[in-house]
Amino acid sequence: MSELGFPTKDLARKKFQTALTILGLTLSIATTVFLVTFGQSLGFHVGIVAGGTVTPGFSYMFSVFILIVGVLNFLAGVLATSFLVSAAMSERVKDIGVMRATGCSSASAFSYFLTELSIMVFTSCVIGTILGILARSACISILNALGFSIAQTPLNTLSILVIFVAFVVAAHVIGVLPIRRATKVKPAEALSPIFSLGTTSAPKGPVPSKLGFSFKVAYRSLIRRRFVTWQAIICLAVVLTLTTLTIAGGVIANQTTQSYVERAVCRGVIVVGHPHITEQYEVLLSQPFEAKPTEQINYSDQRYMINESLVSELNANPEVRVDPRFILNTTIKEVPGVIINPEATEPEERYVFIGDHRVSEVLLIGVDPKVVVNRWMIFGAPLNETDMYSAVVGDSLAYGGFADALKQSFMFNERFDIKGIALDPLNSGWVVYVPYRALTGQTGYNLLLLKVEGTNRSETIAKLEETLSGTGLELLELNDALDKNLNFLGRVWSLVMILPLFSLGTATLCLLSYMMLSVTGQQRELGIMRALGAKPKTIMKMIFIQALIIVLVSGAIGITAGFIITWLFLIPEPVVSSLTMISITAWLLLALALIALTSLYPAVRVTQKSITGVIGQP
Amino acid sequence: MREKAVLAFSVCKEYQIGDFVVEALKDLNLEVAKGEFISVYGPSGAGKTTLLNLIGGLDKPTSGEIVVFGHDLGKHNEDFLSTFRSKYVGFVFQSYNLISTLTSLENIEFPIELAGKSGEYAEKRGEGLLKLVGLSHRAGHLPSQLSGGEQQRIAFARALANNPPLILVDEPTGNLDTETGLEIVRILEKLKAKGKTIIATTHDERILHLGNRVLQLRNGRIITENE
Repeated sequence: MSELGFPTKDLARKKFQTALTILGLTLSIATTVFLVTFGQSLGFHVGIVAGGTVTPGFSYMFSVFILIVGVLNFLAGVLATSFLVSAAMSERVKDIGVMRATGCSSASAFSYFLTELSIMVFTSCVIGTILGILARSACISILNALGFSIAQTPLNTLSILVIFVAFVVAAHVIGVLPIRRATKVKPAEALSPIFSLGTTSAPKGPVPSKLGFSFKVAYRSLIRRRFVTWQAIICLAVVLTLTTLTIAGGVIANQTTQSYVERAVCRGVIVVGHPHITEQYEVLLSQPFEAKPTEQINYSDQRYMINESLVSELNANPEVRVDPRFILNTTIKEVPGVIINPEATEPEERYVFIGDHRVSEVLLIGVDPKVVVNRWMIFGAPLNETDMYSAVVGDSLAYGGFADALKQSFMFNERFDIKGIALDPLNSGWVVYVPYRALTGQTGYNLLLLKVEGTNRSETIAKLEETLSGTGLELLELNDALDKNLNFLGRVWSLVMILPLFSLGTATLCLLSYMMLSVTGQQRELGIMRALGAKPKTIMKMIFIQALIIVLVSGAIGITAGFIITWLFLIPEPVVSSLTMISITAWLLLALALIALTSLYPAVRVTQKSITGVIGQP
Repeated sequence: MREKAVLAFSVCKEYQIGDFVVEALKDLNLEVAKGEFISVYGPSGAGKTTLLNLIGGLDKPTSGEIVVFGHDLGKHNEDFLSTFRSKYVGFVFQSYNLISTLTSLENIEFPIELAGKSGEYAEKRGEGLLKLVGLSHRAGHLPSQLSGGEQQRIAFARALANNPPLILVDEPTGNLDTETGLEIVRILEKLKAKGKTIIATTHDERILHLGNRVLQLRNGRIITENE
């Protein structure tokens, strides 16, 4: 028979097995293509919801999240491929034995089954890629119809091609191993009725009898099929790492980024200033989600200046902490930095200049570091009382206006060294904080941030309003702007968290495919057990215990790995409340239960088959 | 008159294979007394294994009645039949059908624990049965580590695990050489002497001669019956 004739006929004859393998692979590649292409529209260029933009610090976290989930999804897909091909080849080892016994060489058998693998992999990759692209378009259209504003960016064909090639290569490299193992089995061994590929010859270690006979049989079965069991555990561990990262990472990252914003804006803070200034400040704070045009204001105009005696009067109030500021729109100029190249051999190559002389338009804020009410998430160091020509810059400015901000300076009248980078939604992160006393010639404030610390907030505010009456200044609560920022971040996270849910669905289907192949492999023995008096529920219990052992072992590995990745790579200074932990635990338990429950479907199927039919199978 | 262990009335069994209907048993009637040894022979496809499957409650007749120890098997659900098999029937299959993941001893313990007996009892009983079939030294071995004859002896020990009154044996020496087959014949002799009801399908004359009655089956019907 021709090299293509046998594989195509064989695949058509084994419809169920072929369909399961193709389905598993198709879903894996479809999800990866979807994840990467949709992620590019969403995460790598976060620019959604009414044209607003997330500052680079936050965007970075979304990107890292999508990148890690994408890599894990790819790994899960490749492992699932190996897994499905392994399971399929375990089923075919007797056929290979018959082929070899009738004169077919090991190389020819290998070539036939490699062609089968190639047909399945290429079919899956083509269908999967098309489905992934269609899913992306459908998802963007649905989300836009729901009120979000996601750009239909052109497809990144290069990344799709990379995914396609990577899947084809990885599936072949890993898929070839079980084929090689199966074709190497001696015909006599392969044709033995009790031979099963990937099984050990002797049971390892005693099984505690107190756990019951069902457990003993399930455990023995897993140990005997050690190779396939470990493959299942590794595959599921990756999937569960993905699950943990999705659930724990997503929930914690959502809470943490919201906490960063809350710390940057400071809940309960009131701004006091001329109405032009306070309104402008609120607009600047709303930039990430509204992108309203700002007015051109001469911040140095005398009518915006706040009387020194008023600041002193407010400072005398023990229930209020006053953070006086001078803000202005200005330009700063990047100063190139010098870094040491430790690998340089020549002295003249030892020092390397970084950066340029870029000019950036920023909101510059003079503060008194001693009384600043905000507690930004800062990379580097905050300003302190002794600092003079030092600055903390917003994350957008740090990434957009400098090569390596923490190693550089900028010019604004004087040269300021950058000490820290703050995650700050104000003016979308195009902001600079410097010590007020470093602003040469500046002798007043145009904005006050008041933090009410007393127990009776409304009474304190009433007193403040009384103090401000007749001064021409306005008092404005910032909680509304803060809540809008938090809602915006929440919406972005809920969108980002849609992505891994798709891969979770795929993973569950892959596991279901595996369990079906695994149960099919065991169905003759399960039939014997029934013939010996095992009730259908006993058989289901045994299969469920097998699935549960796999899920629990892989759960322990996967969940631990997921938390480590979340803590080490995903989120700096994570915020985890007890409620968060409870919700994460509940979600993870639900995911584990769902995955374990998928084993019941093949279990039910096998118990519905006739015993004589099942035992009669070779 | 001896009590009846098995009664079959006008039993028909049909199988649907694609578009074809195959009649494995046609209007078969049979009575087996308790303690009787019935040998059944006939060509391949005569319906011998189907008859054993119906008597053992592994399958249900298309029409007619199979009553075993007073239970009309066609009228009961799968749960009942599982309990019935566990309590009344010991199967010995032609291809041994041992559970490959369990050791010899565990294969024998399996039906005992399924019947709800304690692990300790199952172990003791399993060891006793291994001794009976002369394979105590193979207790910890997997089926893959045993010869065909040894596997068949383990299968007999497993069939006796719950001390069932009825033993169904399908071509027990079909896959064995003459000498190994003799060991199986000896086990059957012992079981007959113990008063077990035995129905054995076979082509082996030594087993045919053990039968109180010998039935010849052809095309799903009993065509001769000799005492």
